[in-house]
Amino acid sequence: MGTFIQLVVDGLSTGSIYAALALAIVLVNQATGLINFAQGGLAVLSGYVAYAFVQAGLPLVVAIILAVALSFVLGALAERFLVRRFERGDPDTAVVVTIGLLTLITGIIAVIWSYNNLGFPSLFPLTSVDILGAVVSVRSLATTVTIVVIMVVLQLLFLRTKLGLALRAVADSPASSALSGLPVGRLLMVGWGLAAALGAVAGVLVAPQLTLTPGMLDTALVYALAAVILGGLSSPIGCVVAAWAIGVLENLVAVYVPFIGHDLKIAVPFALIFVILILRPQGLFGRKVVVRV
Amino acid sequence: MRKNTRPRGVLGIVAVAAVIALSASGCTRGGTNQGGGSNAASPGITDSSITLGITTPLSGAIAGQGTCTVAGVTAYFGALNAAGGVKFGDGKTRTVNIKSYDDGYDPQKSLANFQQMVSDNVFAATAGLGTPTNRAFREAAISQKVPQVLVMTGDPLFSDRKQSPWQLGFVPIYQNEGAAFGKLIAGSGQPHKVAILSQNDDYGKGYVQGFKDAIKGASNVSVVGEQTYEATDTSVDAQLTQLASSGADVFFDAMSITPLAIASLQKAQQLGWKPSWFLPSNTSSPAAILGPGGAAAYPGIYSVSFAKAPQSPAFAKDPDVVKFLADLKQYAKYPDMPAFPHCMWSYMVGATLEQAFKTMTEPTRDSFMTALRNVKGLQAPLMLSGTSVDTTTDGQPAVSSVLVQKYDGKGYATVQNFG
Repeated sequence: MGTFIQLVVDGLSTGSIYAALALAIVLVNQATGLINFAQGGLAVLSGYVAYAFVQAGLPLVVAIILAVALSFVLGALAERFLVRRFERGDPDTAVVVTIGLLTLITGIIAVIWSYNNLGFPSLFPLTSVDILGAVVSVRSLATTVTIVVIMVVLQLLFLRTKLGLALRAVADSPASSALSGLPVGRLLMVGWGLAAALGAVAGVLVAPQLTLTPGMLDTALVYALAAVILGGLSSPIGCVVAAWAIGVLENLVAVYVPFIGHDLKIAVPFALIFVILILRPQGLFGRKVVVRV
Repeated sequence: MRKNTRPRGVLGIVAVAAVIALSASGCTRGGTNQGGGSNAASPGITDSSITLGITTPLSGAIAGQGTCTVAGVTAYFGALNAAGGVKFGDGKTRTVNIKSYDDGYDPQKSLANFQQMVSDNVFAATAGLGTPTNRAFREAAISQKVPQVLVMTGDPLFSDRKQSPWQLGFVPIYQNEGAAFGKLIAGSGQPHKVAILSQNDDYGKGYVQGFKDAIKGASNVSVVGEQTYEATDTSVDAQLTQLASSGADVFFDAMSITPLAIASLQKAQQLGWKPSWFLPSNTSSPAAILGPGGAAAYPGIYSVSFAKAPQSPAFAKDPDVVKFLADLKQYAKYPDMPAFPHCMWSYMVGATLEQAFKTMTEPTRDSFMTALRNVKGLQAPLMLSGTSVDTTTDGQPAVSSVLVQKYDGKGYATVQNFG
């Protein structure tokens, strides 16, 4: 029983990493209608920026806040000067542009900071507490709580605020939004900026555990995309729940289903996606896209 | 219609690239044959210089180690070149040039790099890191009779003379390391329960095989838990949770991934599981892994080595270490304390090559291979006493002797007994 609870708890903490990235992807998708493959790269870059501030002697908290703020600006600029040119065209083209951006960012990071693993200090101590016979590190507990807070804030932002409504309107129909007087360009920049800032939070949360390397979030990105599809592209809560489910399920299946084991467990979330998308194409928590004729 | 033309476009590019590659390799082979007689110099060697090539990861996740494989050998020959060069067995003194090629740990790139080396007139490929990347051009090297020697892979294939006539591995094969651990624990006389976590590839399997062969028949050692992980995994928490519940007092963590090794050291502590650890030489760096992982919490961290650790206080004033660090800084533009042992290994590769150069009687690849396979009892700089370079045994790499060492909080010290 102790092992079971431990596996669930470990799964939740791994899932939280996927969730952080998934939230940023959902945010960009809600605000611009795109899937941004560079989200992971931007998050890693933010981690390195925070690292640079720490190296410069700033306290960790200040470094993180500065990195998050800077990431907002970077995200907005990336939208304005790069992605904007492809937004009106074929969505496939835009996706390829974001993949290109991912490669570019990885390369830039490598040039500046090299591929060596860099240790990143954690906001939270590595001590652990006992919960129901399972050992939970304060770090992963804090990560999980942070993700929950961000998720709630995002959900409120989209559903309860004017900005959220405007963002959704722009994503849904840029032309009609512009006609009704919304500053479409600025809103798109805000969407990307927010997502980049969120990615920055994800980056600094994960960096102490994975250590900073340019490809730190590459695998996590695959899981995050799985969570986004599974949970529904339009639902912050959905993608977080899906990310947790993936983390937990993976662990349990690996340990309790002998023929899958640790070597095949990566296939589990994707098999799940097949099944769920056949039964519910909009994802577990997503809204159906309805087109009025 | 549009869709139909796309693949053809791609095919066209591939075809053109293939033609270029073929014609490039064809040209150089023609060049080799023009020389005629057996005494004619091989490509890459003149009366005053010799050119060696290294294909290794200089970008990507393994770039830290890869950069080291170039830095060490560059530093070694940089110092010799500055002193005039190396006196070869044919009586001529030559300077040694090193050309490095980035393969990013991508087998396709390393194969392309090898072709590039051939057209760049490189005498021999050496020191490159990586099993898949070295395997990728092994057959090409054999068919073009280009030495691919003292490469950094623990794969036994490279040290099998029948299968790999133009190859030789440098570092101990995985089995050597695993066996050293097995021998130590079997010889302790105390009862021990061992848990094993290994990478699901030849690397992990080699370690486990060496270990199990060495404990065969030792009634005091039992393996109570065995798990694997994939090199692409971001977390091994579940495996550790499972292994911790096995109650093992010794943990053999046959890993090659730096962040996972750090995370394992942290996670086991959190679980309250504090066994003695065996770590492969690849992932036992005090600065890069043990420090961040909080390894001091465990009763013992064991690894194997054949190189003096420059970080260790015990070797801070060792003349080999002092000269090595100075050469690294001056000739390889590597000012930091090396975080990976590959810098030291590659420096020793330099010393081994020098030994072969000194005894090769003709400026040919054949003569070089003969000379290289005759190095015995060479105590290269930075080698721990008790280890040496021996290239004369078929099936064994240049260095097959390793010493088990225990982490002392800063570096490693050699130990004879477990516990």
